[in-house]
Amino acid sequence: MLFPTLAFILFYGVVLILNLAVDGRPALRKAMLIAASYVFYGAWDERFLLLMGGVTAVAWLAGLLVTRPGWRRPVLILSITALLGTLGVFKYADFFVLSLSQLLARMGLERDMVWVGLVLPVGISFYVFQAISYVVDVARGDVPARRNAADVALYISFFPQLVAGPIVRARDFLPQIDAPHPPSAGERGEAVLLILTGLLKKLVIANYLGVLLVDPAFATPLQLDTLTAWAALLGYAIQIYCDFSGYSDIAIGVALLLGYRFRRNFNQPYRATSLRDFWRRWHISLSTYIRDYLYIPLGGNRGGLLQQALVLIACFTLSGFWHGAAWSFLLWGLLHGLALAGERLCQARGLRLPALPGWGLTCLIVLLLWLPFRAPDLIIVRDYLGALFGQAAAEAPPILPALWGLLALGLALNWAPLTLRGRAIAVLGRLPAPAQALTLGTGVFLAFAIAQEGTSPFIYFQF
Amino acid sequence: MRRQMTNFTVTTWLLLLAAWVLSGDRFLDWAYQMPDLGPLDDRLLDLLTWLDDRRAALGLGDVFGRLRSWLHATTGLG
Repeated sequence: MLFPTLAFILFYGVVLILNLAVDGRPALRKAMLIAASYVFYGAWDERFLLLMGGVTAVAWLAGLLVTRPGWRRPVLILSITALLGTLGVFKYADFFVLSLSQLLARMGLERDMVWVGLVLPVGISFYVFQAISYVVDVARGDVPARRNAADVALYISFFPQLVAGPIVRARDFLPQIDAPHPPSAGERGEAVLLILTGLLKKLVIANYLGVLLVDPAFATPLQLDTLTAWAALLGYAIQIYCDFSGYSDIAIGVALLLGYRFRRNFNQPYRATSLRDFWRRWHISLSTYIRDYLYIPLGGNRGGLLQQALVLIACFTLSGFWHGAAWSFLLWGLLHGLALAGERLCQARGLRLPALPGWGLTCLIVLLLWLPFRAPDLIIVRDYLGALFGQAAAEAPPILPALWGLLALGLALNWAPLTLRGRAIAVLGRLPAPAQALTLGTGVFLAFAIAQEGTSPFIYFQF
Repeated sequence: MRRQMTNFTVTTWLLLLAAWVLSGDRFLDWAYQMPDLGPLDDRLLDLLTWLDDRRAALGLGDVFGRLRSWLHATTGLG
Protein backbone atom coordinates (compact mmCIF):
# COMPACT_ATOMS: atom_id res chain seq x y z
CA MET A 1 0.00 0.00 0.00
CA LEU A 2 1.74 3.12 -1.24
CA PHE A 3 1.07 6.51 0.35
CA PRO A 4 -0.16 8.32 -2.78
CA THR A 5 -2.93 5.85 -3.64
CA LEU A 6 -6.66 5.69 -3.02
CA ALA A 7 -6.15 2.47 -1.06
CA PHE A 8 -3.94 4.28 1.45
CA ILE A 9 -6.24 7.32 1.64
CA LEU A 10 -9.18 5.08 2.53
CA PHE A 11 -7.09 3.04 4.96
CA TYR A 12 -5.77 6.17 6.65
CA GLY A 13 -9.23 7.73 6.79
CA VAL A 14 -10.48 4.69 8.69
CA VAL A 15 -7.45 4.79 11.02
CA LEU A 16 -8.13 8.47 11.80
CA ILE A 17 -11.69 7.60 12.83
CA LEU A 18 -10.59 4.63 14.93
CA ASN A 19 -7.84 6.72 16.53
CA LEU A 20 -10.49 9.18 17.69
CA ALA A 21 -12.73 6.36 18.89
CA VAL A 22 -10.02 4.93 21.16
CA ASP A 23 -8.80 8.31 22.44
CA GLY A 24 -8.24 8.14 26.20
CA ARG A 25 -7.86 4.33 26.16
CA PRO A 26 -4.13 3.74 25.65
CA ALA A 27 -4.27 -0.08 25.57
CA LEU A 28 -7.00 -0.09 22.93
CA ARG A 29 -5.18 2.58 20.99
CA LYS A 30 -2.01 0.50 20.92
CA ALA A 31 -3.95 -2.58 19.82
CA MET A 32 -5.72 -0.62 17.09
CA LEU A 33 -2.49 0.91 15.74
CA ILE A 34 -0.69 -2.46 15.78
CA ALA A 35 -3.61 -4.09 13.93
CA ALA A 36 -3.67 -1.22 11.40
CA SER A 37 0.08 -1.49 10.90
CA TYR A 38 -0.13 -5.24 10.30
CA VAL A 39 -2.96 -4.71 7.79
CA PHE A 40 -0.81 -2.05 6.08
CA TYR A 41 2.19 -4.37 5.90
CA GLY A 42 0.14 -7.44 5.04
CA ALA A 43 -1.26 -5.62 1.99
CA TRP A 44 2.14 -6.21 0.35
CA ASP A 45 2.50 -9.83 1.27
CA GLU A 46 0.86 -11.42 4.28
CA ARG A 47 3.66 -14.02 4.59
CA PHE A 48 6.00 -11.32 5.86
CA LEU A 49 3.75 -10.56 8.84
CA LEU A 50 5.24 -13.61 10.52
CA LEU A 51 8.73 -12.29 9.84
CA MET A 52 7.95 -8.90 11.35
CA GLY A 53 6.32 -10.64 14.31
CA GLY A 54 9.46 -12.75 14.76
CA VAL A 55 11.73 -9.71 14.68
CA THR A 56 9.47 -8.07 17.27
CA ALA A 57 9.56 -11.16 19.49
CA VAL A 58 13.37 -11.31 19.40
CA ALA A 59 13.67 -7.60 20.27
CA TRP A 60 11.11 -7.81 23.08
CA LEU A 61 12.66 -10.93 24.64
CA ALA A 62 16.20 -9.56 24.31
CA GLY A 63 15.04 -6.31 25.93
CA LEU A 64 13.75 -8.25 28.94
CA LEU A 65 16.89 -10.37 29.31
CA VAL A 66 19.64 -7.91 28.45
CA THR A 67 19.44 -6.02 31.75
CA ARG A 68 19.94 -9.12 33.90
CA PRO A 69 23.29 -9.17 35.67
CA GLY A 70 25.86 -11.02 33.55
CA TRP A 71 23.49 -11.48 30.62
CA ARG A 72 24.20 -8.21 28.81
CA ARG A 73 26.96 -9.34 26.47
CA PRO A 74 25.60 -12.77 25.45
CA VAL A 75 22.08 -11.44 24.92
CA LEU A 76 23.36 -8.52 22.85
CA ILE A 77 25.52 -10.79 20.70
CA LEU A 78 22.78 -13.39 20.22
CA SER A 79 19.96 -10.98 19.49
CA ILE A 80 21.95 -8.73 17.15
CA THR A 81 23.27 -11.81 15.33
CA ALA A 82 19.72 -13.13 14.97
CA LEU A 83 18.39 -9.80 13.72
CA LEU A 84 21.27 -9.09 11.33
CA GLY A 85 21.20 -12.75 10.27
CA THR A 86 17.54 -12.38 9.27
CA LEU A 87 18.41 -9.29 7.25
CA GLY A 88 21.39 -11.07 5.74
CA VAL A 89 19.43 -14.14 4.63
CA PHE A 90 16.58 -12.19 3.05
CA LYS A 91 18.60 -9.37 1.57
CA TYR A 92 22.14 -10.56 0.87
CA ALA A 93 22.22 -14.36 0.59
CA ASP A 94 21.64 -14.56 -3.17
CA PHE A 95 23.99 -11.65 -3.79
CA PHE A 96 26.83 -13.54 -2.12
CA VAL A 97 25.92 -16.76 -3.95
CA LEU A 98 25.90 -14.88 -7.27
CA SER A 99 29.20 -13.15 -6.52
CA LEU A 100 30.82 -16.44 -5.53
CA SER A 101 29.46 -18.13 -8.64
CA GLN A 102 30.87 -15.35 -10.87
CA LEU A 103 34.22 -15.51 -9.09
CA LEU A 104 34.45 -19.29 -9.52
CA ALA A 105 33.46 -18.99 -13.19
CA ARG A 106 36.27 -16.50 -13.78
CA MET A 107 38.69 -18.94 -12.19
CA GLY A 108 37.40 -21.70 -14.44
CA LEU A 109 35.79 -23.52 -11.51
CA GLU A 110 32.11 -23.29 -12.46
CA ARG A 111 29.75 -24.97 -10.01
CA ASP A 112 25.98 -25.38 -9.68
CA MET A 113 25.12 -23.08 -6.81
CA VAL A 114 22.30 -23.35 -4.30
CA TRP A 115 20.15 -20.23 -4.51
CA VAL A 116 18.15 -19.06 -1.54
CA GLY A 117 15.56 -17.45 -3.84
CA LEU A 118 13.75 -15.39 -1.20
CA VAL A 119 11.70 -12.31 -2.04
CA LEU A 120 13.03 -9.21 -0.27
CA PRO A 121 10.41 -8.19 2.31
CA VAL A 122 9.66 -4.51 1.88
CA GLY A 123 11.04 -2.33 4.67
CA ILE A 124 13.07 -5.12 6.33
CA SER A 125 16.22 -2.97 6.52
CA PHE A 126 14.30 -0.32 8.41
CA TYR A 127 12.47 -2.41 10.97
CA VAL A 128 15.43 -4.67 11.69
CA PHE A 129 17.48 -1.55 12.45
CA GLN A 130 14.74 -0.29 14.75
CA ALA A 131 14.66 -3.62 16.55
CA ILE A 132 18.43 -3.45 17.08
CA SER A 133 18.10 0.14 18.27
CA TYR A 134 15.60 -0.97 20.94
CA VAL A 135 17.80 -3.79 22.27
CA VAL A 136 20.95 -1.65 22.34
CA ASP A 137 19.17 1.31 23.94
CA VAL A 138 17.80 -0.95 26.67
CA ALA A 139 21.26 -2.48 27.22
CA ARG A 140 22.76 0.99 27.49
CA GLY A 141 20.09 2.08 29.95
CA ASP A 142 18.76 4.76 27.58
CA VAL A 143 15.24 3.29 27.70
CA PRO A 144 13.70 0.90 30.21
CA ALA A 145 12.84 -2.58 28.90
CA ARG A 146 9.17 -2.92 28.06
CA ARG A 147 7.35 -5.79 29.73
CA ASN A 148 4.35 -5.20 27.52
CA ALA A 149 5.15 -6.77 24.13
CA ALA A 150 2.54 -4.47 22.52
CA ASP A 151 4.82 -1.47 23.17
CA VAL A 152 7.68 -3.06 21.24
CA ALA A 153 5.30 -4.32 18.54
CA LEU A 154 3.94 -0.82 17.96
CA TYR A 155 7.42 0.72 17.96
CA ILE A 156 8.63 -1.70 15.29
CA SER A 157 5.51 -1.90 13.13
CA PHE A 158 4.02 1.63 13.31
CA PHE A 159 2.89 2.01 9.71
CA PRO A 160 3.89 5.61 8.82
CA GLN A 161 7.60 4.77 9.12
CA LEU A 162 7.45 1.01 8.62
CA VAL A 163 8.60 0.56 5.03
CA ALA A 164 10.99 3.44 4.31
CA GLY A 165 11.75 5.22 7.55
CA PRO A 166 12.62 7.57 9.03
CA ILE A 167 14.39 5.14 11.38
CA VAL A 168 12.76 6.07 14.67
CA ARG A 169 14.63 5.58 17.94
CA ALA A 170 13.04 3.72 20.81
CA ARG A 171 13.91 6.54 23.22
CA ASP A 172 12.00 9.02 21.02
CA PHE A 173 8.96 6.88 20.29
CA LEU A 174 8.23 4.79 23.38
CA PRO A 175 7.59 7.76 25.72
CA GLN A 176 5.03 9.02 23.20
CA ILE A 177 2.94 5.85 23.37
CA ASP A 178 2.75 6.28 27.13
CA ALA A 179 1.20 9.72 26.80
CA PRO A 180 -0.77 9.87 23.55
CA HIS A 181 -2.64 13.05 22.73
CA PRO A 182 -4.62 14.36 19.75
CA PRO A 183 -2.55 16.79 17.68
CA SER A 184 -2.82 20.49 18.51
CA ALA A 185 -3.97 23.00 15.87
CA GLY A 186 -0.33 23.88 15.19
CA GLU A 187 0.63 20.22 14.77
CA ARG A 188 -2.27 19.67 12.38
CA GLY A 189 -1.11 22.67 10.35
CA GLU A 190 2.41 21.28 10.27
CA ALA A 191 1.11 17.84 9.24
CA VAL A 192 -0.95 19.35 6.40
CA LEU A 193 2.08 21.23 5.11
CA LEU A 194 4.32 18.15 5.34
CA ILE A 195 1.85 15.87 3.54
CA LEU A 196 1.25 18.37 0.74
CA THR A 197 4.97 19.14 0.34
CA GLY A 198 5.70 15.42 0.27
CA LEU A 199 3.09 14.80 -2.42
CA LEU A 200 4.42 17.69 -4.51
CA LYS A 201 7.95 16.31 -4.21
CA LYS A 202 6.97 12.75 -5.03
CA LEU A 203 4.07 12.94 -7.48
CA VAL A 204 5.14 16.00 -9.40
CA ILE A 205 8.90 16.46 -9.22
CA ALA A 206 10.42 13.01 -8.59
CA ASN A 207 8.09 10.96 -10.78
CA TYR A 208 8.23 13.26 -13.83
CA LEU A 209 11.98 13.79 -13.61
CA GLY A 210 12.47 10.06 -13.28
CA VAL A 211 10.33 9.01 -16.22
CA LEU A 212 11.01 11.85 -18.65
CA LEU A 213 14.66 12.68 -17.96
CA VAL A 214 16.62 10.31 -15.72
CA ASP A 215 15.44 6.86 -16.84
CA PRO A 216 16.01 7.50 -20.58
CA ALA A 217 19.43 9.06 -19.88
CA PHE A 218 20.65 6.11 -17.82
CA ALA A 219 19.23 3.62 -20.35
CA THR A 220 21.41 4.92 -23.20
CA PRO A 221 24.19 7.14 -21.82
CA LEU A 222 26.25 6.94 -25.02
CA GLN A 223 23.53 8.82 -26.88
CA LEU A 224 23.63 11.83 -24.55
CA ASP A 225 25.26 15.15 -25.28
CA THR A 226 27.22 16.71 -22.45
CA LEU A 227 24.49 19.16 -21.38
CA THR A 228 21.82 16.44 -21.25
CA ALA A 229 24.15 14.12 -19.34
CA TRP A 230 24.78 16.76 -16.66
CA ALA A 231 21.11 17.82 -16.59
CA ALA A 232 19.99 14.20 -16.13
CA LEU A 233 22.52 13.64 -13.36
CA LEU A 234 21.29 16.79 -11.63
CA GLY A 235 17.79 15.49 -12.34
CA TYR A 236 18.60 12.27 -10.48
CA ALA A 237 20.05 14.20 -7.53
CA ILE A 238 16.78 16.13 -7.32
CA GLN A 239 14.64 13.06 -8.04
CA ILE A 240 16.12 11.01 -5.20
CA TYR A 241 15.98 13.99 -2.82
CA CYS A 242 12.33 14.68 -3.66
CA ASP A 243 11.40 11.00 -3.70
CA PHE A 244 12.92 10.11 -0.35
CA SER A 245 12.42 13.37 1.52
CA GLY A 246 8.88 13.43 0.06
CA TYR A 247 8.22 10.01 1.58
CA SER A 248 9.70 11.16 4.90
CA ASP A 249 7.57 14.32 4.87
CA ILE A 250 4.40 12.32 4.26
CA ALA A 251 5.38 9.76 6.92
CA ILE A 252 6.07 12.48 9.50
CA GLY A 253 2.82 14.28 8.62
CA VAL A 254 0.73 11.10 8.72
CA ALA A 255 2.19 10.19 12.14
CA LEU A 256 1.68 13.72 13.45
CA LEU A 257 -2.06 13.62 12.67
CA LEU A 258 -2.22 10.48 14.80
CA GLY A 259 -0.43 12.26 17.65
CA TYR A 260 3.16 11.01 17.19
CA ARG A 261 6.16 13.13 16.28
CA PHE A 262 9.17 11.87 14.34
CA ARG A 263 12.37 13.83 13.91
CA ARG A 264 13.20 15.47 10.60
CA ASN A 265 14.98 13.19 8.15
CA PHE A 266 16.27 15.85 5.72
CA ASN A 267 17.51 19.36 6.24
CA GLN A 268 18.20 21.00 2.88
CA PRO A 269 21.04 18.61 2.00
CA TYR A 270 22.19 20.38 -1.16
CA ARG A 271 23.06 23.48 0.87
CA ALA A 272 25.87 21.57 2.57
CA THR A 273 29.29 23.22 2.44
CA SER A 274 31.23 20.02 3.21
CA LEU A 275 30.62 16.30 2.98
CA ARG A 276 30.39 16.07 6.74
CA ASP A 277 27.72 18.78 6.60
CA PHE A 278 25.94 16.87 3.81
CA TRP A 279 25.66 13.74 5.93
CA ARG A 280 24.23 15.80 8.78
CA ARG A 281 21.46 16.88 6.41
CA TRP A 282 20.76 13.77 4.29
CA HIS A 283 18.80 10.78 5.67
CA ILE A 284 19.56 12.10 9.13
CA SER A 285 17.96 9.13 10.88
CA LEU A 286 20.35 6.69 9.14
CA SER A 287 23.43 8.93 9.56
CA THR A 288 22.83 9.35 13.27
CA TYR A 289 22.04 5.64 13.59
CA ILE A 290 25.36 4.69 11.98
CA ARG A 291 27.13 7.24 14.17
CA ASP A 292 25.58 6.03 17.44
CA TYR A 293 25.54 2.27 16.85
CA LEU A 294 28.61 1.77 14.66
CA TYR A 295 30.98 4.72 14.40
CA ILE A 296 31.22 5.54 18.12
CA PRO A 297 31.40 1.90 19.32
CA LEU A 298 34.17 1.27 16.75
CA GLY A 299 36.26 4.05 18.24
CA GLY A 300 34.72 7.15 16.69
CA ASN A 301 36.81 10.26 17.22
CA ARG A 302 38.79 8.72 20.08
CA GLY A 303 41.69 7.25 18.10
CA GLY A 304 44.29 8.92 15.91
CA LEU A 305 43.52 10.45 12.56
CA LEU A 306 44.30 7.28 10.63
CA GLN A 307 42.05 5.19 12.84
CA GLN A 308 39.25 7.74 12.50
CA ALA A 309 39.63 7.65 8.72
CA LEU A 310 39.52 3.85 8.62
CA VAL A 311 36.46 3.70 10.85
CA LEU A 312 34.75 6.33 8.69
CA ILE A 313 35.47 4.36 5.52
CA ALA A 314 34.22 1.11 7.10
CA CYS A 315 31.02 2.75 8.36
CA PHE A 316 30.18 4.37 5.05
CA THR A 317 30.93 1.21 3.09
CA LEU A 318 28.54 -0.71 5.34
CA SER A 319 26.01 2.10 5.05
CA GLY A 320 26.25 1.85 1.26
CA PHE A 321 25.75 -1.91 1.46
CA TRP A 322 22.72 -1.39 3.70
CA HIS A 323 21.06 0.35 0.74
CA GLY A 324 21.14 -2.74 -1.42
CA ALA A 325 22.82 -6.02 -2.23
CA ALA A 326 24.89 -4.80 -5.17
CA TRP A 327 28.50 -3.84 -5.76
CA SER A 328 27.42 -0.42 -6.96
CA PHE A 329 25.96 0.47 -3.54
CA LEU A 330 29.09 -0.83 -1.86
CA LEU A 331 31.18 1.32 -4.19
CA TRP A 332 28.99 4.36 -3.51
CA GLY A 333 29.43 3.95 0.24
CA LEU A 334 33.16 3.28 -0.06
CA LEU A 335 33.71 6.38 -2.20
CA HIS A 336 31.75 8.55 0.23
CA GLY A 337 33.81 7.10 3.08
CA LEU A 338 37.07 7.80 1.25
CA ALA A 339 35.99 11.33 0.37
CA LEU A 340 34.94 12.02 3.96
CA ALA A 341 38.18 10.60 5.32
CA GLY A 342 40.10 12.79 2.86
CA GLU A 343 38.10 15.82 3.94
CA ARG A 344 38.81 15.10 7.59
CA LEU A 345 42.54 14.69 6.97
CA CYS A 346 42.61 18.01 5.07
CA GLN A 347 40.71 19.78 7.83
CA ALA A 348 43.07 18.35 10.45
CA ARG A 349 45.91 20.01 8.53
CA GLY A 350 44.09 23.33 8.53
CA LEU A 351 42.92 23.09 4.90
CA ARG A 352 39.34 24.32 5.09
CA LEU A 353 37.51 25.75 2.08
CA PRO A 354 35.42 28.91 2.40
CA ALA A 355 31.66 28.38 2.22
CA LEU A 356 31.05 29.00 -1.49
CA PRO A 357 33.88 26.85 -2.94
CA GLY A 358 33.15 24.28 -0.24
CA TRP A 359 29.52 24.14 -1.36
CA GLY A 360 30.54 23.82 -5.01
CA LEU A 361 33.00 21.01 -4.34
CA THR A 362 30.54 19.17 -2.09
CA CYS A 363 27.79 19.41 -4.72
CA LEU A 364 30.15 18.12 -7.41
CA ILE A 365 31.30 15.13 -5.34
CA VAL A 366 27.78 14.23 -4.21
CA LEU A 367 26.48 14.60 -7.77
CA LEU A 368 29.17 12.38 -9.29
CA LEU A 369 28.76 9.78 -6.56
CA TRP A 370 25.05 9.45 -7.37
CA LEU A 371 26.25 7.82 -10.60
CA PRO A 372 27.15 4.39 -9.14
CA PHE A 373 24.08 4.65 -6.89
CA ARG A 374 21.70 5.06 -9.85
CA ALA A 375 23.43 3.10 -12.60
CA PRO A 376 22.30 -0.53 -12.88
CA ASP A 377 25.90 -1.71 -13.38
CA LEU A 378 29.45 -0.45 -13.60
CA ILE A 379 29.44 -0.46 -17.44
CA ILE A 380 26.72 2.20 -17.40
CA VAL A 381 28.82 4.17 -14.88
CA ARG A 382 31.76 4.10 -17.30
CA ASP A 383 29.61 5.09 -20.30
CA TYR A 384 27.90 7.86 -18.33
CA LEU A 385 31.24 9.28 -17.19
CA GLY A 386 32.23 9.34 -20.87
CA ALA A 387 29.09 11.34 -21.70
CA LEU A 388 29.79 13.78 -18.85
CA PHE A 389 33.40 14.38 -19.81
CA GLY A 390 33.63 14.76 -23.54
CA GLN A 391 32.73 11.54 -25.31
CA ALA A 392 29.27 12.90 -25.96
CA ALA A 393 26.95 12.31 -28.89
CA ALA A 394 26.93 15.27 -31.26
CA GLU A 395 23.23 15.92 -30.82
CA ALA A 396 20.61 14.61 -28.42
CA PRO A 397 16.89 15.39 -28.24
CA PRO A 398 16.28 18.69 -26.39
CA ILE A 399 15.09 18.62 -22.80
CA LEU A 400 11.43 19.61 -22.36
CA PRO A 401 11.09 23.16 -20.93
CA ALA A 402 8.79 21.76 -18.22
CA LEU A 403 11.65 19.58 -16.98
CA TRP A 404 13.90 22.61 -16.50
CA GLY A 405 11.01 24.01 -14.47
CA LEU A 406 10.88 20.88 -12.31
CA LEU A 407 14.65 21.00 -11.76
CA ALA A 408 14.29 24.61 -10.61
CA LEU A 409 11.32 23.73 -8.37
CA GLY A 410 13.24 20.85 -6.78
CA LEU A 411 16.20 23.12 -6.08
CA ALA A 412 13.87 25.81 -4.72
CA LEU A 413 12.35 23.31 -2.27
CA ASN A 414 15.86 22.43 -1.10
CA TRP A 415 16.81 26.11 -0.74
CA ALA A 416 13.59 27.61 0.63
CA PRO A 417 14.39 29.50 3.84
CA LEU A 418 13.34 27.68 7.00
CA THR A 419 11.57 30.85 8.15
CA LEU A 420 9.21 30.48 5.16
CA ARG A 421 8.32 26.97 6.31
CA GLY A 422 7.79 28.28 9.85
CA ARG A 423 5.48 31.01 8.55
CA ALA A 424 3.46 28.55 6.44
CA ILE A 425 3.02 26.29 9.48
CA ALA A 426 1.95 29.26 11.59
CA VAL A 427 -0.65 30.31 8.99
CA LEU A 428 -2.00 26.77 8.61
CA GLY A 429 -1.94 26.28 12.37
CA ARG A 430 -4.23 29.28 12.90
CA LEU A 431 -6.90 27.93 10.53
CA PRO A 432 -9.95 26.20 12.01
CA ALA A 433 -9.85 22.41 11.72
CA PRO A 434 -12.33 22.17 8.77
CA ALA A 435 -10.27 24.74 6.82
CA GLN A 436 -7.11 22.73 7.50
CA ALA A 437 -8.86 19.62 6.17
CA LEU A 438 -10.08 21.59 3.14
CA THR A 439 -6.51 22.72 2.42
CA LEU A 440 -5.31 19.13 2.70
CA GLY A 441 -8.11 17.72 0.56
CA THR A 442 -7.76 20.34 -2.17
CA GLY A 443 -4.00 19.89 -2.25
CA VAL A 444 -4.26 16.10 -2.51
CA PHE A 445 -6.88 16.45 -5.29
CA LEU A 446 -4.59 18.80 -7.24
CA ALA A 447 -1.52 16.62 -6.69
CA PHE A 448 -3.35 13.55 -8.00
CA ALA A 449 -4.65 15.58 -10.95
CA ILE A 450 -1.20 16.68 -12.08
CA ALA A 451 0.48 13.34 -11.37
CA GLN A 452 1.28 10.77 -14.03
CA GLU A 453 -1.05 7.85 -14.67
CA GLY A 454 -0.28 4.83 -12.51
CA THR A 455 1.87 4.72 -9.41
CA SER A 456 5.66 4.68 -9.06
CA PRO A 457 7.06 3.06 -5.94
CA PHE A 458 9.37 5.14 -3.76
CA ILE A 459 13.06 4.59 -4.54
CA TYR A 460 13.88 3.68 -0.95
CA PHE A 461 11.27 0.87 -0.89
CA GLN A 462 13.85 -1.40 -2.53
CA PHE A 463 16.19 -0.96 0.45
CA MET B 1 -8.23 19.27 20.76
CA ARG B 2 -10.29 16.13 20.43
CA ARG B 3 -13.29 18.03 19.11
CA GLN B 4 -11.13 19.86 16.58
CA MET B 5 -9.65 16.57 15.43
CA THR B 6 -13.18 15.19 15.04
CA ASN B 7 -14.10 18.18 12.86
CA PHE B 8 -10.91 17.67 10.85
CA THR B 9 -11.63 13.98 10.28
CA VAL B 10 -15.29 14.50 9.38
CA THR B 11 -14.31 17.22 6.88
CA THR B 12 -11.67 15.01 5.23
CA TRP B 13 -14.28 12.25 4.74
CA LEU B 14 -16.76 14.74 3.26
CA LEU B 15 -14.03 15.95 0.91
CA LEU B 16 -13.26 12.40 -0.09
CA LEU B 17 -16.93 11.98 -0.93
CA ALA B 18 -16.82 15.20 -2.96
CA ALA B 19 -13.67 14.01 -4.76
CA TRP B 20 -15.44 10.78 -5.64
CA VAL B 21 -18.48 12.62 -7.02
CA LEU B 22 -16.22 14.87 -9.15
CA SER B 23 -13.91 12.15 -10.47
CA GLY B 24 -15.94 10.33 -13.09
CA ASP B 25 -15.60 6.58 -12.84
CA ARG B 26 -11.99 6.69 -11.57
CA PHE B 27 -12.84 5.72 -8.00
CA LEU B 28 -14.49 2.56 -9.27
CA ASP B 29 -11.41 1.81 -11.40
CA TRP B 30 -9.16 2.39 -8.38
CA ALA B 31 -11.42 0.25 -6.21
CA TYR B 32 -10.92 -2.65 -8.63
CA GLN B 33 -7.14 -2.17 -8.37
CA MET B 34 -7.12 -2.27 -4.57
CA PRO B 35 -5.82 -5.33 -2.68
CA ASP B 36 -8.23 -8.27 -2.61
CA LEU B 37 -10.15 -8.29 0.66
CA GLY B 38 -11.08 -11.94 0.40
CA PRO B 39 -14.73 -12.77 1.25
CA LEU B 40 -15.54 -9.06 1.63
CA ASP B 41 -14.27 -8.17 -1.82
CA ASP B 42 -17.33 -9.06 -3.92
CA ARG B 43 -19.78 -7.41 -1.54
CA LEU B 44 -17.68 -4.26 -1.31
CA LEU B 45 -17.33 -4.00 -5.07
CA ASP B 46 -21.09 -4.55 -5.51
CA LEU B 47 -21.74 -1.73 -3.05
CA LEU B 48 -19.23 0.58 -4.75
CA THR B 49 -20.71 -0.17 -8.18
CA TRP B 50 -24.18 0.63 -6.87
CA LEU B 51 -22.91 3.88 -5.32
CA ASP B 52 -21.08 4.77 -8.51
CA ASP B 53 -24.30 4.35 -10.49
CA ARG B 54 -25.94 6.87 -8.14
CA ARG B 55 -22.99 9.22 -8.66
CA ALA B 56 -23.27 8.94 -12.44
CA ALA B 57 -26.98 9.74 -12.19
CA LEU B 58 -26.06 13.14 -10.68
CA GLY B 59 -24.58 14.06 -14.07
CA LEU B 60 -21.71 16.18 -12.71
CA GLY B 61 -19.23 14.80 -15.23
CA ASP B 62 -15.51 14.22 -14.84
CA VAL B 63 -14.24 17.44 -13.25
CA PHE B 64 -11.05 15.67 -12.17
CA GLY B 65 -10.34 14.56 -15.76
CA ARG B 66 -10.88 18.07 -17.13
CA LEU B 67 -8.65 19.58 -14.42
CA ARG B 68 -6.03 16.96 -15.19
CA SER B 69 -6.06 17.69 -18.92
CA TRP B 70 -5.85 21.42 -18.27
CA LEU B 71 -2.96 21.05 -15.80
CA HIS B 72 -1.02 18.78 -18.15
CA ALA B 73 -1.58 21.08 -21.12
CA THR B 74 -0.64 24.19 -19.13
CA THR B 75 2.52 22.76 -17.57
CA GLY B 76 3.66 20.73 -20.58
CA LEU B 77 3.73 17.57 -18.46
CA GLY B 78 1.78 14.38 -18.86
